[in-house]
Amino acid sequence: MAIRVNPRLIEDLNRFGAADVQMCYHCGDCSAVCVHTDDMFRFPRKSMRQLQMGLEKRLDTALEPWLCYYCGQCSDQCPREAHPGETMMSLRRWLINRYDITGIAGKFFRSVQTEVWTVIIMGLLTALAALGYHLFSGSIYVVDGPDAFLPSHIVHMFDIALGSVLGIILLLNALHMWSLTMKEGGEASIPWWLYIKSILQLPLHFFTQKRYAECITTKKSGLYMPWIIHLGLMWGYVTMLVLVMVFLPYLQKGPEIFWPAHIFGYLASIGLLTGVFYFIRSRLIRKYAQYHKSHSTDWVFVILLALITITGILQHIFHRTGLPVAANITYLLHLMVVVPWLLRMPFSKWAHLVYRPLAMYFAAVRKNAYAWQEKKQRSFSPDLQPI
Amino acid sequence: MKTCKTGVYICSCGTNIARIIDVDAVKEFSGSLPNVAFARTYKYMCSNPGQDMIVNDIREHNLDRIVVAACSPRMHERTFRKALQSAGLNQYLFEMANIREQCSWVHDDRPEATEKAKALTHAAIKKAELHEPLENMSVNMCPRTLIIGGGIAGMTAALELAESGYQVYLVEKQDRLGGNLARVDLTAPYLDSAHDLVTDRITRVRNNKHVEVHYQAKVTELKGYVGNFSAVIQNINGHSSETAREIEIGNLIVCTGYKEFDASRITHYGYGKLPNVITSFEFEGMLKEGRIVTKDGKVPDYVAIIHCVGSRNQEFHTYCSRVCCMTALKYAHEVKSAIPGCYVSDVYIDMHAFGKGHEDFYSRTSEVKTLFLMYEKNDRPVIRKAGPKDDCDMLIEVNERLSGEVIEIPADLIILMVGMEAQQDSAEIARLVNISQDKEGWFIESHPKLEPVATTTDGIYIAGTCVAPKDIPDTVAQARAAAARVHARISKGKIDVDAVYSEVNENLCSGCRICNTVCSYSAIEFLVSNQRSHVISAMCKACGVCVAACPSAAIKGRHFTDQQILAQLEGLLSPV
Repeated sequence: MAIRVNPRLIEDLNRFGAADVQMCYHCGDCSAVCVHTDDMFRFPRKSMRQLQMGLEKRLDTALEPWLCYYCGQCSDQCPREAHPGETMMSLRRWLINRYDITGIAGKFFRSVQTEVWTVIIMGLLTALAALGYHLFSGSIYVVDGPDAFLPSHIVHMFDIALGSVLGIILLLNALHMWSLTMKEGGEASIPWWLYIKSILQLPLHFFTQKRYAECITTKKSGLYMPWIIHLGLMWGYVTMLVLVMVFLPYLQKGPEIFWPAHIFGYLASIGLLTGVFYFIRSRLIRKYAQYHKSHSTDWVFVILLALITITGILQHIFHRTGLPVAANITYLLHLMVVVPWLLRMPFSKWAHLVYRPLAMYFAAVRKNAYAWQEKKQRSFSPDLQPI
Repeated sequence: MKTCKTGVYICSCGTNIARIIDVDAVKEFSGSLPNVAFARTYKYMCSNPGQDMIVNDIREHNLDRIVVAACSPRMHERTFRKALQSAGLNQYLFEMANIREQCSWVHDDRPEATEKAKALTHAAIKKAELHEPLENMSVNMCPRTLIIGGGIAGMTAALELAESGYQVYLVEKQDRLGGNLARVDLTAPYLDSAHDLVTDRITRVRNNKHVEVHYQAKVTELKGYVGNFSAVIQNINGHSSETAREIEIGNLIVCTGYKEFDASRITHYGYGKLPNVITSFEFEGMLKEGRIVTKDGKVPDYVAIIHCVGSRNQEFHTYCSRVCCMTALKYAHEVKSAIPGCYVSDVYIDMHAFGKGHEDFYSRTSEVKTLFLMYEKNDRPVIRKAGPKDDCDMLIEVNERLSGEVIEIPADLIILMVGMEAQQDSAEIARLVNISQDKEGWFIESHPKLEPVATTTDGIYIAGTCVAPKDIPDTVAQARAAAARVHARISKGKIDVDAVYSEVNENLCSGCRICNTVCSYSAIEFLVSNQRSHVISAMCKACGVCVAACPSAAIKGRHFTDQQILAQLEGLLSPV
């Protein structure tokens, strides 16, 4: 059965960043140089082709874009300047939009105005809510306790409520991803025990990002260490998320330092600060292929994260140094960034935190399923020779 | 037996010959034969020192026969004949033994190959003994040239000669000049106007007093030989008062071009049935009018271009038509600049972008967002009418090679890149001017690399797309090359013709005319006055067919007499 192409797909992908994919003439240099491409998951050339041709059905179900960590080697090698690495990146953005059952992600990715205005409005609404609360209760001179300007138990409750709603949406999106990539994309139905068999792949890739470490780094200068910095950023972020979602009241206690909680906060801050500084700098100087073409959503991502980190650190310092007014104002600013940040969670680049390790896991399951099928077929027909 | 003094030279050809043949053994053997003064070996006989060796030996030792055992006489017979001439010896007292192509290159057993080389050399020595001194003929060269075909090739060749002051007859089948190029809008890869190229030449041809253009005319008869042809030009429209005219010419250039493949022969493309499936030439017409529309006047949202229609396929033509790939890219550009939102897909087998500027043009076409889809040579795309729910007129199913997927692409207008074919009347032309055609009908050049515009008939040249598909620059280059060849000959006024040809002994000839019919070069005429056949020596190629066919043994092949050939056989077969 012939697949009908979507002739307009490529134009749509342009808005997600894939600008030069038409230049590709399929020499295959990109796939040859990539350390991650293998017999079952071939990229970037195959994905480039599917995109050029508008094979939406194939791309919808593809895991390949997530298997790439974008070291940029393929873009450097490309004789036609088709930027295969950027194509894979754009496909990831596009897939976040495809997995999203609400359709909000697509709006953010397709229009920078929509995204920026949403962030600003959400920030202002947060400020309004905080100030509204202030009319009835709380004092600008108090940082923690029930009389605080922004009492941590209320913020904490709000955090948990917001986090749960968005977490559920993210979970539904992840389920959607599973149904696209594993049910529609797989050749045959996969038995449940194969999912169990490969389950360790999920934490492995989440916590180590080991495939990023395997990417080629030969061409680069001494400052080039994206894996370790990316990993540090992720660890810092996840630590901070846990601290905020679970231990917020301990964090906000003061003014003395509460080491059991704060030590993690300091370590996380180092990871976050290094990360955002490194990625903003890289995207500004545009020396390496993977930072050459920044999509508007990439900028929003790093800038928001930088603001969150800086305001959070400042609030902490002001609180510990006996400057409650400054601490409360920075805290308000901090929340004005955190709320839109959290709200965008399942609809933005943020979601790759979940989708990428999931894809690595699914890829491992698919590989095992394929091997299992082969074995089963061979046991039915012993004459069958391996190809 | 005649006594003579023969010098024998065995060439090593670097290692080409010496690797398989023991040249010293051949030397020893040849030197021991009767009538041989001495034999020598040398690394490269064709080099200047090799030739000087022959010249000095002739002078010092009064040699009167020279035999060189080396490569094919096609390569170096003329070289060595010149050496004989410069030493004051008649150039025909020479014979070559081919111990390279016919021996060292085709054998791998050294002793046996050496024996064979000895036999071949012996044969040459025996034949040379019977050689006679012969003199070349000199014939007049008529300075006028006939050119068949008024396309870009014909006009270019005509102008090249006419602008040097030589008379040209240009015979064109149609009522206008310009040929196929006049039907084209822009040219690839620089997107220049074809109209500009053509009109400039048409004006120059029409204003040149040395060019006599015959419209709606054809050449119906050609007699004679190089430098002395006579041709008949006939009007084919029937209205003209002048119906036939005989002209005298020295040379003839065939520039009859090509015709396009008939797309309706590929039934599943639906050409002729689906109104929006058109050929590249029909699309050129649209471009010239400046309106790209479907049959019902709608601006297309989807345009598809299908390559290799009739080309590169066992069923129709196996060859590549060379210009269609770039023309297709040109269409993509023109469609995109006329309808920027149009979705252009280009369905090809391989992209042949071999010429100057072509690869760049291919890149630029990718930049304007053309979708390139690759199909398998023997798995053609299938076109069908779209359903009522589709937003397009037709759908093309392609088994796409680069993705391995069977896909369906939308199309409102489909352009079939029809290949080039030999003209319908090419066989007639070939017979008329006595040149050969290959199995596809293209005219065959004398040598595909070294003689690309000459033919096996002296004085007949070919240029442009009647030889094989080619683009405008190649066509123009060939037309100028053919004109240059003609120019070089007519500027001398006379030409030398080899003394090797057959001769009829009129005393023995019975007038049976068998030889008239067997001659492939129309070189034998029958003289009614004395009822004898006569060989027009300038036209004879010395193939020897008439010599063998003559029942009265009245024909002698000069330089290949029966005695010479028998002596050669004797040499070949005698023990070594």
